[in-house]
Amino acid sequence: MIELFQHIVDGVSLGAIYALIALGYTMVYGVLKLINFAHGDVFMLGAMIGWYASARWTSESASPSIFGSIWVTVLAMVFCGVIGFVIERLAYRPLRAAPKINSLITAIGVSFFLEYGGQYLFGPNPRAFGVLPHRPPLSLAGISIGYVDLVTILTSIVLMIVLQRIVFHTRMGIAMRAVSWNPSVAALMGVNIDLVISFTFVLGSVLAAVAGVLYASKYPSVHPLMGLMPGLKAFVAAVLGGIGNVPGAMLGGLLLGLAEQLVSGYTSSSWRDAVAFGILILILLIKPSGLLGRGEAEKV
Amino acid sequence: MAGFFGGSALKKARRALWSWLPWVIAIPFLMLIEQKLELNPDLGLEYVFQNINHIGIAIILAVSLNLVNGLTGQFSIGHAGFMAVGGYVSAVMLMRGPQEDPWRLFFILSILTGATAAAIAGWIVGKPSLRLRGDYLAIVTLGFGEIIRVIIENTPFFGGAIGLSPIPHRADFAWIWAVVIITIIIAKRLRDSTHGRAFLSVREDEVAAEAMGIDTTGYKVRAFVISAFFAGVAGALSGAFEGNLAPQSFTFVRSFEIVAMVVLGGMGSITGSTIAASVLTILPEYLRALANLRMVIYSVALIVLMLVRPRGLLGTTELWDYLKRWRPFQRQRGKREASEALIDVRHATIRFGGLTAVSDFSLEVKPRELVALIGPNGAGKTTVFNLLTGVYPPSDGSIIIMGRDTRGLQPHAIAHLGVARTFQNIRLFRELSAFDNVRIACHHLTRESMAAAVRHGELSGVEERWIGERADELLEVMGLSHRRDELAKNLPYGDQRRLEIARALATGPQVLLLDEPAAGTNQREKVELMELIRSIRDRFGVAVVLIEHDMKLVMGVSERILVLDHGVTIAHGLPREIQRNPKVIEAYLGEKYAREHFGGAPA
Repeated sequence: MIELFQHIVDGVSLGAIYALIALGYTMVYGVLKLINFAHGDVFMLGAMIGWYASARWTSESASPSIFGSIWVTVLAMVFCGVIGFVIERLAYRPLRAAPKINSLITAIGVSFFLEYGGQYLFGPNPRAFGVLPHRPPLSLAGISIGYVDLVTILTSIVLMIVLQRIVFHTRMGIAMRAVSWNPSVAALMGVNIDLVISFTFVLGSVLAAVAGVLYASKYPSVHPLMGLMPGLKAFVAAVLGGIGNVPGAMLGGLLLGLAEQLVSGYTSSSWRDAVAFGILILILLIKPSGLLGRGEAEKV
Repeated sequence: MAGFFGGSALKKARRALWSWLPWVIAIPFLMLIEQKLELNPDLGLEYVFQNINHIGIAIILAVSLNLVNGLTGQFSIGHAGFMAVGGYVSAVMLMRGPQEDPWRLFFILSILTGATAAAIAGWIVGKPSLRLRGDYLAIVTLGFGEIIRVIIENTPFFGGAIGLSPIPHRADFAWIWAVVIITIIIAKRLRDSTHGRAFLSVREDEVAAEAMGIDTTGYKVRAFVISAFFAGVAGALSGAFEGNLAPQSFTFVRSFEIVAMVVLGGMGSITGSTIAASVLTILPEYLRALANLRMVIYSVALIVLMLVRPRGLLGTTELWDYLKRWRPFQRQRGKREASEALIDVRHATIRFGGLTAVSDFSLEVKPRELVALIGPNGAGKTTVFNLLTGVYPPSDGSIIIMGRDTRGLQPHAIAHLGVARTFQNIRLFRELSAFDNVRIACHHLTRESMAAAVRHGELSGVEERWIGERADELLEVMGLSHRRDELAKNLPYGDQRRLEIARALATGPQVLLLDEPAAGTNQREKVELMELIRSIRDRFGVAVVLIEHDMKLVMGVSERILVLDHGVTIAHGLPREIQRNPKVIEAYLGEKYAREHFGGAPA
């Protein structure tokens, strides 16, 4: 029983990270109907910037501090926000009128560019990452909650509440939802679509940056290809919850993290990648619009 | 005497010769190159040939994926998975099979087994997931591709994460390129056949394709299975060429690379895929001097190419399109007669949730009859057509077409029974020529199998000629001969409407359903169109059911009129009776009459 709870705690912590990445996928899909395959690599960039920042500024003081780690995270967020803005501006905006498959290929190109660019600058080997101060794990009735996991879960909850406020209670959030419903009508109603799309990319990238720093702290290492699998799985999470749906991405991330942790905990960790894709296929065959998504029918 | 050894037998032999000639000529040529160049140590071309062989394998992959992503318009990004299946199955056979294989018959067997395994995997993946569209299909194929890899990685029989090595080295230049040629020829012949047009029609507009009698799901699965088969061949060749297989080389990144080749070459273009496969394989090699930067440049090149040429290098055209010759044509064909009711709808009702769109609708259409279905906007006229063509099944009541209950029939099966339609919002295959639009609709009249199309058999030749003539005849009837080779999307509006009618007629219908054919045309054109519809009826002996807003117009042309309002049939009878029917005047004519007399624009 304790083992089960332990897995659940670990699963929630992993799922929170997936959820943070999945939000970026789902918001971009919502406004652009584009699968931004480069999103996983923005997540990697977040971790990498975190590594550079901590190497430059925080390692002088002997041990990492809370303020140091916040500073590092904010820097990663700003940088990734800019990167997200630039990617959309240069690679996706010129192709907005083109068939979707073209933007998808461009997204793949951007993804390759970030990965190989990362390998060129950073080197292909993993580097150790330690931003958060070392604290002993919290022990609750036999279940140990790692300090990193605790920070991850708390940070994610705060960010998701903030995001919920942005999406549902601000002018920009209303504009985002309008664009996702119907871009041309939104434009006719005076919504600046370009601005909304840029904002969505920046918002998603900022969340990915936080996820990157948290993920790199959890498995304390950074390398240029670290965005591949978490990126794909977060995408699966977005589809699971219903792509384009913000609460869906949170739910999907949590469920996926839990499922993965339970399967790798009780069987073998080598099957964990198959779990995500198995779930994906099942959900698409049974309810393609996802758990919280809405279906669409074609008019003849 | 001549009958014994001449005539058709000779013709057959000649056709057979032509159909097999390309493969036969190519092979000794390839072997010569291999003997003189690749295996000649003095020339030092090992590295060059290694690249050439990589290109060959990439071409097989790109051309086969093009069948799904380009021709059929489905978005698959799991091609590497099928490649892995083919590669591993054949590699296991080669490693455990006889070590001596002088004629490489066992090698051929292993390739075919691997490819068949891949095709079966393709069927298993495709059958359930091809119901999905666009992005969702892409993700599912990606997921399946990854699962195949994870399974291989966890199966000790397949070498686990380390992979298989050493695989007997059986594939070399001549083998790989012979397969490349075979793949390209098969792809080209499939594409140019009636099956190729069926694939294209699925890409362009699935609803219209079904209405023209094409089993869209069936064709998607077929495209998927054939494509997986060749991916399996490529995998088998790759294993037997490299001497080892590792699961890491079959990740989705590999699939992405193949998709990039197809898109970059131009969706559906076989020559485009071939060129793009070569360029994208060579490019990283050329950049090798730049060491770590080469993949960065490769990815930038990919993005820039996509931005500069969003339709790919060749668009949807082929290199050989520029060499195509003009085909002369002839015409005249017989008509058919029938006696009993062609369509018999009894008390059909359809509900969408709480809304009853059409209730208790009955209609009988006799041969060569011209029936008009009129009613104000939202009366349920198009819904009636959707019921008749099987787009929606009725909630209640029965629809009998040619004496057959259509319950449970797919739209394409109903089209086969002899019902063809046009669409209110024109649904042509926009990226195809007028000629091809009409030819696709002849699809279900052909009997040639896919295998025959690939062999370039006799029947396929006869049928292709017949379809061409038929299409040209229909284009002429509709006054579109001069637009024959223009893309449907470039035709003027009126021509598009007429092309839809030509396309519907090409299915060889007994009943033609025209959904507001006169929409958007002016009064004079409308009158001309009605004349045309009458002459089509006389010439092709079809019954016509016509949806039209303009009541005055249908008065002259139709023999019977049925008036719908809010899904209810409020009147049914001869034009004269309808004109005097007080209910009609109240619900429909009165309002419209008033509107026309007070200067409003006609609907």
